[in-house]
Amino acid sequence: MDRAFSWVAAFPDEVWEHTFSFLPTDADRNAVALVCRSWHRIERLSRRKIFVGNCYAVEPAAAVRRFPEVRAATIKGKPHFADFNLTITDWGGGAGRWIQSMAKGWPLLEELRLKRMVVSDDCLEIAARSFKNFRVLSLASCEGFSTAGLASVAANCRNLKALDLHENEVEENCINWISHFPESFTSLVTLNIACLDGEMNVSILERLISRCPNLKTLRLNHVTPLEKLVGLLHRAPQLVDLGIGMLIGEGHPGLFSKLESAFAHLKHLKNLSGIWEAGPLYLPAIYSICEGLTALHLCDSSIQTPELSKVVSRCKNLQQLWAMDLIEDDGLIAVASSCKLLRELRIFPSDPHGLAQPVYLTQYGLLAVSSGCVMLESVLYFCRQMTNSALLAIANNCPNLTCFRLCIIEPYTPDYITQEPLDAGFGAIVELCKDLRRLSISGLLTDRVFKTIGASANRLEMLSVAFAGDTDAGLHYILSGCKKLRKLEIRDCPFGDKALLDNADKLEAMRSLWMSSCSVTLGACRLLAKKMPRLNVEVIDENGGGSLESWPDDCHVEKLYIYRTIAGPRTDAPPFVLTV
Amino acid sequence: MLEGNRRRYCGGVASLASGSSASKATAAERDLSVEDGVAAGVADGEEVENDRDDEEGLELGLTLGAARKSSPPPVPWGSCLRILTAKDLPSLASLAPPRSPSASSVSSSSVTNLSSGGTGMKRAAESASPHVGGSPQPPSQMVVGWPPIRTFRMNNFFNQSKDNTPETTTVASKKISASKDQSQKDQGSRRMGMRSSMFVKVKMDGDPIGRKVDLAVHHSYEALAVSLELMFQKPMMTTNLPAALDGAKALKLMDISSEFALTYEDKDGDWMLVGDVPWGMFVETAKRLRIMKISDATGLSRSTGRNPSCVLKPYGGSM
Repeated sequence: MDRAFSWVAAFPDEVWEHTFSFLPTDADRNAVALVCRSWHRIERLSRRKIFVGNCYAVEPAAAVRRFPEVRAATIKGKPHFADFNLTITDWGGGAGRWIQSMAKGWPLLEELRLKRMVVSDDCLEIAARSFKNFRVLSLASCEGFSTAGLASVAANCRNLKALDLHENEVEENCINWISHFPESFTSLVTLNIACLDGEMNVSILERLISRCPNLKTLRLNHVTPLEKLVGLLHRAPQLVDLGIGMLIGEGHPGLFSKLESAFAHLKHLKNLSGIWEAGPLYLPAIYSICEGLTALHLCDSSIQTPELSKVVSRCKNLQQLWAMDLIEDDGLIAVASSCKLLRELRIFPSDPHGLAQPVYLTQYGLLAVSSGCVMLESVLYFCRQMTNSALLAIANNCPNLTCFRLCIIEPYTPDYITQEPLDAGFGAIVELCKDLRRLSISGLLTDRVFKTIGASANRLEMLSVAFAGDTDAGLHYILSGCKKLRKLEIRDCPFGDKALLDNADKLEAMRSLWMSSCSVTLGACRLLAKKMPRLNVEVIDENGGGSLESWPDDCHVEKLYIYRTIAGPRTDAPPFVLTV
Repeated sequence: MLEGNRRRYCGGVASLASGSSASKATAAERDLSVEDGVAAGVADGEEVENDRDDEEGLELGLTLGAARKSSPPPVPWGSCLRILTAKDLPSLASLAPPRSPSASSVSSSSVTNLSSGGTGMKRAAESASPHVGGSPQPPSQMVVGWPPIRTFRMNNFFNQSKDNTPETTTVASKKISASKDQSQKDQGSRRMGMRSSMFVKVKMDGDPIGRKVDLAVHHSYEALAVSLELMFQKPMMTTNLPAALDGAKALKLMDISSEFALTYEDKDGDWMLVGDVPWGMFVETAKRLRIMKISDATGLSRSTGRNPSCVLKPYGGSM
């Protein structure tokens, strides 16, 4: 051992290991691993959780080799904009190689969380059979598997605690996959099947729920009929998190009181989610649990604001509210006056393509919440109009914002009163909210806003930009500022080659950059790829693939995805994704 | 409470324009104008903003309820304040990216096939007036991935139950009313909802790239066919296709004389020729689309014996 680090030997490895277990983030552990060889060894052997933000950044086998004792892995695949169909189908993000390496190297793996990956039924089968202590399977925004794969998970994972399927595209070919949970299976704590489209045999589900006394989270899918839901709730009074699927009022007599009493039994309920199609008349059935709710994710189509306001005004302990814009400004004003503990607000558009009558949700709603809810940290807000003064006021009201995502639905919308760009408003947000980590901007924006973001957003880690800016300078401001930027995604902005090439080093300090419909040419990509060998510069050529060498330098690149990697160009890219 | 109502503002105006003629031609024009009236209406939202003071009287009471103490009413995108005529409407074939700032005017396929100046939509920063383009813009619904909502979320919002008849599903109207009692009355009727987007995968024979198309944004087979033609058409392919009439209808997916046939996989897993069933039913049952070469399409089942090109129904007429 080096003389300089002889103090390391003062304590046995187990002490260091124990000390490291207090380090909260992977970044801290990575730093620790750099101190000396001993710490590197101790750290890697004691790492239990691994987070891979980009599945192509590292070879699965290498990751498994370096950290042989991992018990929990989180892996993310496709870029965020894939959620909005901006990547092509079959882009990649396959989980197969990861699962195979993990099955070999981490047989004791207990938790696996995959996001935006393509997971086949084979993957699920291999995972189910290889990980004897498998406890948690969480798939978010994934695709490529079917209920047959879920059946093998149910059948083989004897100690499964959590099956969390969040917004996946699942092919339904095995109707009774739930029945594959053996009768002896009682360990379930979380069951989220909200994304499944098919019918479920409710009595099998009921039996499963009855024999799992620790079940805390149950999120049903939309085809559970109301009476069955009531039956299920009676069997699981210990629920903390309930997703009602889709509640439809069928006008049965006595149904309201059954529903009301079912909810009243849920004395521990903290989270309620689902689609409320039952209409306002059934809504009072949930009044009894409102006081205890800390999170409410209710999509509704048929409730007017007054009834919704009655619900939220009873939710005095609400910390998280996700709702449709049907809640309108009035509803948000009610939220502002009742939900003083609110931390997170997400408002989704009920009518994103503007096909129906617009709802009365404007900047006033957000402004009201910002002034009434002092603990507000996270905002996602879809609306059709905004003003700089409202943004300034919001920034003043909530300097603790960590996540601010504003989507003004029509691109290039200016401040609707002054007709000016919204530079000043967003500028205020980044200048006053010093802890801002995530930002999405929209509306009419010039290069000025990027100058402010680059200069002031010192903690910003993720930035999403669309239809904004005037010149390359905008991108340059971002890349040369924003010290902590990790993910940048841009679409339809006039940003081009110069900013990219001038800031090539920055790209290696970031996890990834997505640019689509900007002004980037192939020549710049080639230069960038040559200069930065540890970046993968991927170009999506929608015209059917073909050899990249033949394309001229001035050829426009429609979709560009750049990410840092130590694994070299990926081998599973489809023919129209070309690594430069 | 069908589609007519859902778009009643624009529909109302457009039908005024076309009168109450029952002739098929006018009805077709009305269909087109209603469909794209929505489009024009959305894009015209900005223009409307400017003229708001003049035209409040014409706003059909849309924003009256929203009047706040000292604030202007929300952007009334939806009120079509001009009488729409055919020449106002963007020809669906000419959805090339315009120079005007409203980037929303680019159709999904054009976005992907652009080879020059992908943005081309930069606006002059100094101009204070917003996006008053010379020609009417197709709405932002034609832009891929905008607004940025997970398609999964929107596919499942207002999802259908097995009880719903086709008429009341995708094309049913959302309860839209400034008055509360209207909505109370609606409570009793069949559950209605508006599916905001419904993406299905589309693959064309000979093209390695699969895409997705949003059925909910289209309201007829023609619109879908044109969208698909734009999506799959590539510059190098035009030489292989029959000469285009009126622009980009080269693939002529709905034309029996075309090289290609549009087929879909239904809920039972059978592949059917597109066009035989009413549009609403089609949207309900279609899981996937495939553009087949005609030579492969001969063995397909068809739900009725009718000629598939005979689907030009008046908008709302088949529902």
